[in-house]
Amino acid sequence: MDGMNTRDVRVPEPGGGQGKSADRDLDWLLGRVARGDQAAFEQVYDRLAGPAYGLIRTVVRDPAQSEEVAQEVLLEVWRNASRFDPAKGSATTWVMLIAHRRAIDRVRSASAEAQRDQKSAAAAVAASADEVADAVAANLDAERVRRCLSSLTDIQRESITLAYYGGYTYRQVAGLLNVALGTIKTRIRDGLIRLRDCMGVSW
Amino acid sequence: MRRLRHDLHILTGVYALDALEDTERERFEHHLQRCQSCSHEVRGLHETATGLALAAARVPPPQLRERVLTIAARTRQNPPVTDQRPLPRPRSVWFPRLAAAAAAVAVVAAVVLGITQAATQRRLDRVQAQQQGIEAVLNAPDVRIVSHRTSVGGTATVVFSEDRHKMVVTTTGLPPLPSGKVYELWLMAPGGNRPAGLLPAPSAGRTAPVLAAGLAVGDRAGVTVEPAGGSAQPTTTPILAIPLAG
Repeated sequence: MDGMNTRDVRVPEPGGGQGKSADRDLDWLLGRVARGDQAAFEQVYDRLAGPAYGLIRTVVRDPAQSEEVAQEVLLEVWRNASRFDPAKGSATTWVMLIAHRRAIDRVRSASAEAQRDQKSAAAAVAASADEVADAVAANLDAERVRRCLSSLTDIQRESITLAYYGGYTYRQVAGLLNVALGTIKTRIRDGLIRLRDCMGVSW
Repeated sequence: MRRLRHDLHILTGVYALDALEDTERERFEHHLQRCQSCSHEVRGLHETATGLALAAARVPPPQLRERVLTIAARTRQNPPVTDQRPLPRPRSVWFPRLAAAAAAVAVVAAVVLGITQAATQRRLDRVQAQQQGIEAVLNAPDVRIVSHRTSVGGTATVVFSEDRHKMVVTTTGLPPLPSGKVYELWLMAPGGNRPAGLLPAPSAGRTAPVLAAGLAVGDRAGVTVEPAGGSAQPTTTPILAIPLAG
């Protein structure tokens, strides 16, 4: 059975973006999970463990810690499935929110002890963005996201990448890019809105 | 005021990327409860951030699957949050309507009673901080729950996390007290007892959850009857002393 299951969690429907029907499917599966259906949870795992782990790994970087955080996140999905409300956003977004928050909790608590030097941190994040790009080169979704990211201004793109993939607060981002706080807030919002429109997000 | 609102609206982007510091995030979440266009925008930007997340997907370590599925199979799930339950709601983005109602009530109260906006805000902050604190205990990986009848009737339920050093106490069916008396919670240990808060007046026989910090390994959760305002040390025999142990 395992042999039949390619378990390629990364590639959404070609062409159609994330696919509304795939999203509805996941909403339904999470409803089953909320009622204790372990088979449904396996399916949710197979669909979302890859995106959750990849996101956590991008933020946290250390593989062992990333695995720990991913485990916490996926178990939180199991425990709190009853609190997911499809009227408030997609299932994937609900899980990615949990994953991102847990990942930044991890790096922000860790960074107190290891006050990272800003310049080397910026270099590390730039490297990690490249790494992301490599790791997901075959991913259609990633292709589209990269294309959309490249349509942003440098400051928009860098500040969004540092904040989301790097897990930095906007104040830290402002410090890293040497830009005023107010500018960062605006650039991040403008950039995200452009990304949203480019990616065809319908909310 | 207009300038302030404008500034806050600009934060939708950094909020959607989790790039606010804690206090700013709380302030912005209050704002979201009142600003429909902001919460609509935040939803779209959250979905956009999901696109960024999907682009970073990676094959997880193979052993993770088995481990997660095994632990899930023996982990009890949390019940849904319902309107009647006095338990916490997850962060406000997911529950803007309830939160908006609460905020609206507070605003009306501020007008009617002439309380300053600042004071109302502080109270809302406190309520929210308390709810987040309770949620943190409920979501702790090592969360445990114990329930016990008291010696005077009724039941106390204690949800606690040793990792987070916190407990949440609710009760049902405790006998009503004469005026001038309250039920006080304690963290009890051989080395000394620490006050852990007062139970609020019951509604329909239940008391709303009380969050107490400072839990140490080996503590027991205790309840005594004390003069209104509470005491620094128990002055009556505990009606309950539950060991808090996994």
